[in-house]
Amino acid sequence: MRSNGIWMTSLMALSMTVAGCAEVQRAAEDVARQSGNPRLAGVIHGAGNVVGSLFPIGYEEESSIGQAIALQVVARYGGVVDQPELVRYVNLVGKAVANTSDRPDIPYRVAILDHESINAFAAPAGYIFVTRGLLRQIKNEAELAAVLGHEIAHVSEKHILDVIQRSKRLAGVTEAGLSYATSNPAAFKGVIDGAVKKLLDEGLDQEKETDADTVGEVFAARVGYDAEAYVGLLTRLRDLKGDDRALFKTHPNFSARIEAVQKTIRTKHLASNGLVLQERFSRMTKRV
Amino acid sequence: MIPPRSFWVPLIALWIGLFVWGTEAWAETVYVHAKTAQLRAGKTSLDAVVGNVKFGESLEVVGRDGSWMEVKTSAGTRGWIFANKTSTSKPSGGNDTLARLGQSMRGGDASATTASAGARGLDKASEGYADRAGVSARDREVVDRMTAYQIPDQDVEEFMREGGLGEYAK
Repeated sequence: MRSNGIWMTSLMALSMTVAGCAEVQRAAEDVARQSGNPRLAGVIHGAGNVVGSLFPIGYEEESSIGQAIALQVVARYGGVVDQPELVRYVNLVGKAVANTSDRPDIPYRVAILDHESINAFAAPAGYIFVTRGLLRQIKNEAELAAVLGHEIAHVSEKHILDVIQRSKRLAGVTEAGLSYATSNPAAFKGVIDGAVKKLLDEGLDQEKETDADTVGEVFAARVGYDAEAYVGLLTRLRDLKGDDRALFKTHPNFSARIEAVQKTIRTKHLASNGLVLQERFSRMTKRV
Repeated sequence: MIPPRSFWVPLIALWIGLFVWGTEAWAETVYVHAKTAQLRAGKTSLDAVVGNVKFGESLEVVGRDGSWMEVKTSAGTRGWIFANKTSTSKPSGGNDTLARLGQSMRGGDASATTASAGARGLDKASEGYADRAGVSARDREVVDRMTAYQIPDQDVEEFMREGGLGEYAK
């Protein structure tokens, strides 16, 4: 009898693996437990995790990862600017761009890091940061929209989640999903710390940065912002920092980025007579 | 000699059938590619709103004029939508079917998040991370407030209207 039970549950587990059905997986686990075989139930549960790991990360998991990374960004950069009107303005520009991005159905929030360096980051699930130093270099709303478009593109293209998958492998995490966050919090910390190191110290891959420039430029232009504005900002940053010391260590140099953005404007026929909204930007950011 | 009725009836039926099939087959479909979108009675942002459509909803294209597109919803509502708020391919969004299925199969994930994930408060996994990493109460509060930060969609629309952005272009 017991042998039949094992065969039945094994068959169900196999069908679960092939069909990818969560209900079948749970039923098979229940049958295994009821037939007095908790070990087999554990194997079936593990098989579910392995199969589940082949699917993309869902928003709930992404949100936990994004929050943990955001905690480190805020801690490393010494807190955020507490100016409600300015924060609301930057968020309004971000939301206007995000609403017609390729992923408008998740919440995006922008915080201004109280730091003089010139930088911007995006964590999964729509956590976006710009430094006070970068905001001071920006001259109009179209340039701000392009910067936020770049960061929104990192989120919509799930660039950071790719880094997370690699961090998980480096940390030796075999469990899928967030189950390891509670069962093995040290492993979760290792994964987040690995991703933070890549994001803040090493930088993302050059290919991802070029992709974010291109996609972000399209997002900002869709709302009606001037497509040439980003070229103006990148050119000023090149003059300020030079081509050998690009914004991030692994970013393509500014000249290559400017060329790629100009190519995007040409090939995608983006409007270079769009809105700049310099007056509104100056009014809202005068206390930066 | 005029062909008999038995000749014309099937021919007319075939012609009608082909016409109906052709209309269906050639109807262009687009999808709502924005968090919020409104259908208007005319092709300007000043025209009255005749309906709201959701992200990912399919729309049948009836006509085009500049930056605007006349569409019909599956419920039969007809109106104009700003073309930049549509796409020809169905958007998958932030949490597509595959991701939901994967999360369901992985199981146990729900225990790592609070029931109010996405609302105010750090979830269990990030709270645990903050403890282990020694993140200060002040920095936790910052991310907590950031997570809860919301701006109503109407305010974003008003901001765009004031700036002449999107469908409010002058």
